[in-house]
Amino acid sequence: MTEEKPKFLKGTSLSIFSNDRMEDFIALGCALLIALGVYLFV
Amino acid sequence: MVYTHKHPALLIIGIIMLAIGITTSNGMMNGVIEYLSLKKVVGEMELMSLTFGAISIIVGLWHMFGRHKQGSHLDYYGSTIAGAMFILLIAMLIKWFVAPEVAVISKSFGKIGDTGKYLHKLMGLNYVVLGILAGIIVVNVFKVPKWAENGVRLSRLGLKTGVILLGTLYSMAELAKLGRLSIIMIGFFVLGSVGIVLWMGARRKIPNSMAGVLSAGMGVCGVSATVAAAPVVQAKSVEIAYTIGTILIWGIGCMFLFPVVGQLLNMGPVQFGAWSGTGILNSAQVAGAALAFQPDGIETLKVAEIFNITRVLFLPIIVLWLAVWYVKREENAQQVNISKVIVGKFPMFVLGFILMFALSSTGIFAPANHYKGKYFDNNLPKAKLLSTQQLNILKAEKGKVQRVDRSEALARLIEQKKVSSIDDDAVLRGLVNAGVVSKEANKILKNAHKSVRHTAKKIKKFRQFITWLFAFGLVGLGMQITLGAIKQAGGQPLIIGGVVGTLKAVLSLAVVMMFVTETI
Repeated sequence: MTEEKPKFLKGTSLSIFSNDRMEDFIALGCALLIALGVYLFV
Repeated sequence: MVYTHKHPALLIIGIIMLAIGITTSNGMMNGVIEYLSLKKVVGEMELMSLTFGAISIIVGLWHMFGRHKQGSHLDYYGSTIAGAMFILLIAMLIKWFVAPEVAVISKSFGKIGDTGKYLHKLMGLNYVVLGILAGIIVVNVFKVPKWAENGVRLSRLGLKTGVILLGTLYSMAELAKLGRLSIIMIGFFVLGSVGIVLWMGARRKIPNSMAGVLSAGMGVCGVSATVAAAPVVQAKSVEIAYTIGTILIWGIGCMFLFPVVGQLLNMGPVQFGAWSGTGILNSAQVAGAALAFQPDGIETLKVAEIFNITRVLFLPIIVLWLAVWYVKREENAQQVNISKVIVGKFPMFVLGFILMFALSSTGIFAPANHYKGKYFDNNLPKAKLLSTQQLNILKAEKGKVQRVDRSEALARLIEQKKVSSIDDDAVLRGLVNAGVVSKEANKILKNAHKSVRHTAKKIKKFRQFITWLFAFGLVGLGMQITLGAIKQAGGQPLIIGGVVGTLKAVLSLAVVMMFVTETI
């Protein structure tokens, strides 16, 4: 049950980021931005 | 290596999106909008198509005619936009046109038996499942185009962002309000199911990621739990698809079987509601089974909903459990310092999910007792109270209502000109469902219900974002599922899912029959 081997110089076949932690932080940042936007403007 | 492809695809995607946006705003799409019942999403169609269409055309021109330097961050990250827009376009087509068309076809068959639900609802044929299917078709029939490959890898980021925002839909206050029985029973069966799947997974030597995602799906609430747990245990695309497939197939079987067993055992509404809310995984299927068991009232449905909500509210606990379990397993916890490993490896987005759940519980986005943005509030302005004419219609119909609780709730409604409590609201919904009073009176009752049930605007907006992030993420996820990977996965997840599902259904039936009486 293996994914295809990475064919990109950075990241994996599942992510463009160099590691999961970085992807988590970017996701957290995006979510907080959305939450702030919703809180302020809706 | 230069990642950006000098290819016109992104420009074409932009033109298609703009065409959707323009034809929607100038009325050329009106016929389609009416046929597919898209009126509610017209604003979204215009805004999204025009915005992303314009972005695609600008970036598409840059991809085609710009200079792209090898090794630059701009080339690497900028190239992802082509794939991202490709996924987004497919998600748009699925959500606005394909899923509604499936709904239209399904509605033409009529409601299924006594379930009160249409086929597409019961089979879970929504944008989530159709999105994954579309992705699978793209990758297996046409292959992911080279220019889109880099961007397809953004789909997991979309899912993670969606999962963090998912925390806003639930609140601690709602959990505290639920009955003790539902918390004990659901707690036991949710935690038990998760534990058994993890144990069986280890015995049958399936990968930890597969066992983890399957345990969340079988234990908590189906599709959203699967999506939430997937990044925590680093589940592969095929494992997520397997889990969702197992849950939906299992749920459909249960939905038809449970009401038959319930009638055979002469179960009451509370017993059946508790059993179906515990044993069936998908929310629509829980409601379908409850309505099939009691088509002339909603007492069963109400109990089943309470159990269903309780199960969903266990999601943060399960996500945390799986995060710790997975880190320990993958890092061979015996040899290393667990706390160090957890700090180093614990998925940060889980903390984001918990943070949003906590924020939502404070009432910052909606009244603290909301559930998925819906809450009860009967502080109505005078204009919203029932009119004299409406009251006269209800008074004239009062004699038709035989059941004491319904008759009393109706009397209070007439006296106060509004629904007086959350309990009365449930009883009056039952009265509507039973079809005892005239259509006109039912319409008044439905309006009275609507005026005390509110939807928080902020949570509604969050739901919109979550829907799109999931649609985006799941189409991309489907694009990573090849037939070869499905063959490699084998049939173990289905076997484990079937065994655990049966165990849960049988054991919860035994517990319900032994301990649940008709009056909780």
